[in-house]
Amino acid sequence: MDLAVDVRDLTRHYTMGQTLVRALDGVSLSVAPGEFVGLLGTSGSGKSTLLNLIAGLDRPTSGTLKVFGHDLAGMTREQLSLHRRSNVGMIFQAFNLISTMTALENVALAMMFAGVARPARERGARELLGQVGLGERFSHRPRELSGGEQQRVSIARAMANQPQILLADEPTGNLDSRTAREILDLLRALNETGKRTIILVTHDAQLAARCVHRSVTLVDGQVAAEASV
Amino acid sequence: MRASDIIALAVRNLRESVLRTVLTALGVSIGIASLVGMVSFGVALQDQVMGSFLRSGLFDSITVTAAQSFTGRNRRPAGPRLPVMPAPARPAAPAERPKLDDDALKTFAAIDRVKEAYPDIRVPIEVKFGAVSEMTAARGVPMSARNEGVFQEIAAGQFFANQTDDACLISLEFARRLSDGEPGDLVGKTISLGYMLTSQPGSPDAASVPSLVPGGAPGGLQIQRAERPFKIVGIISRQAGLGAGLGMFSAVMIPLAKAREMGGADLSNPQALLRQLADKRSYATVTVKVQGPQDTEAVEQKIKDLGFSAFSVADMLQNQKTAFLLLDLLLGLVGSIALSVASLGIVNTMVMSILERTREIGVMKAIGAGDGDVRRIFLIEAGIIGLAGGLFGNVLGWGVGRAINFGANIYLQRQGAPAANLFMIPWWLIGGAVAFAVLVGVVAGGFPAARAARLDPIQALRHD
Repeated sequence: MDLAVDVRDLTRHYTMGQTLVRALDGVSLSVAPGEFVGLLGTSGSGKSTLLNLIAGLDRPTSGTLKVFGHDLAGMTREQLSLHRRSNVGMIFQAFNLISTMTALENVALAMMFAGVARPARERGARELLGQVGLGERFSHRPRELSGGEQQRVSIARAMANQPQILLADEPTGNLDSRTAREILDLLRALNETGKRTIILVTHDAQLAARCVHRSVTLVDGQVAAEASV
Repeated sequence: MRASDIIALAVRNLRESVLRTVLTALGVSIGIASLVGMVSFGVALQDQVMGSFLRSGLFDSITVTAAQSFTGRNRRPAGPRLPVMPAPARPAAPAERPKLDDDALKTFAAIDRVKEAYPDIRVPIEVKFGAVSEMTAARGVPMSARNEGVFQEIAAGQFFANQTDDACLISLEFARRLSDGEPGDLVGKTISLGYMLTSQPGSPDAASVPSLVPGGAPGGLQIQRAERPFKIVGIISRQAGLGAGLGMFSAVMIPLAKAREMGGADLSNPQALLRQLADKRSYATVTVKVQGPQDTEAVEQKIKDLGFSAFSVADMLQNQKTAFLLLDLLLGLVGSIALSVASLGIVNTMVMSILERTREIGVMKAIGAGDGDVRRIFLIEAGIIGLAGGLFGNVLGWGVGRAINFGANIYLQRQGAPAANLFMIPWWLIGGAVAFAVLVGVVAGGFPAARAARLDPIQALRHD
């Protein structure tokens, strides 16, 4: 069986002004299907860069990058967008919901890009909002929802096209600690019941310990430590 | 992504910024209104001019001349000089050159789709009215010319009642030369027309009158002078406009039958005289009328096949159409200036809209929107702005055009001119204007949409 994520000697360099930034400098990492992995590190350690590469939002400078056997390095722009649409679900620190759309529409939007018909999208979106505990609030716009609620909508949206892997980039960064714990508990539940592979990027090792099976710490674009919980 | 979803998303985005959308579309409608206004003016103008052309009776007539002159040189027909005389294609001269005589007239009349064939006859005359005496030519006019060409409007009096009366029509200019009074007062008066009567030797009336030429004309042609009173039945004024005076307009116009009777001895040049010696009766030019302008070409070809030279002004109609196409194009270009400014408005609106929604585009890409999806959403948005502008622009253009037409007609009426429709929006213009507006929108939206499609999702997500 293919690894969920198979990364070997991955580098991502870019220039900022005159200086070369080695955001990732030879990272190797394997994630098994169904695993819940935490990517830890300070800001600038390269954890978000790695997550964006796995998400297909960015391209590596060199190295191997496979997600469920698909080599992302050789993909066209169109193939990458297909990868983002169907293989991965992204959860952001800033929620990134579309402010002019209701919770239901935000979740349904992801299915719209996959070509799902309107009645099916709305049914699916309601179901997903129910799963994340927002059954009553699907017609509210983001600004009418609390931070925790917005992040739940975002999680529902990430799952809209039944991706095999969820990628969460500091999902609790904008939340108070109690809500943060609730969100992480939700992610753990989704991992346990839905057997979804989840990669969680966070700088808070204590919070990560609530839910991850294994944590990988990045320092200056390299893997510094790995620990199973 | 489904097309219906793309459209729904585009409409939704436009509604999020209603004011900006409406203002941009209004810019497009002003552009379209000016385009529609300009072109509709061109179309109406074309309709007026082409209509008067077709009514002039020129486009259903063919002028026939004998294939070649006696000398075989490049000779112009001795008949009325027409302003447009393309070199007639000369068929390989047949052994026996066909004569343009009464038999030929019958042959022409028998050709399918031919209404009638008549000779173009000009009789040199001396007009006497009171103390005035003037040399001019009388033109033979067939009865069928009633209500055609210059005879559509008669300044005073009326057209010939029949072709047997000694009646004549005179031009307004000639009327002024005859009398200092009101030209209309000449109607009913009688003028005296003096003319030369020719006859072949041996014909009954030849011997009765002494020859004017001492020793007789060459070849024994008898020429005698005759004089006849003609009653003026109408005054014709030459109308302005191309083609109005062609063909039959002359100082004095008499029924064709009268002109034939009076002989039409053309003594104006030796060649014409020689031809009359050789042929019993042949004409310099013959006019063949066909049922409609569309029959001209085929009949013309048949006449040429018979060995005659023939030409028609139908070719001019084609030129005129081309000229109007150019005019429409020019008017369209002028009208498009406002539209090109409006298209910059679309570009501006779309660039602003994309700038504002950069983060949203990043989100859409992150959750699976392809480059093509993003591009199409914005192209459709720009297209909808164009569509709305095009639809409203037609309404605006219609209103403005109506107002201008109304004002112009008040002016025309004050000037004593008949009302004219100077505004005409055919269906193709409405449809074309809307389609053009959508096209302008899509083209104007092309650059911003392509930029949106190429946005780097990570950069876009970081955008505030």
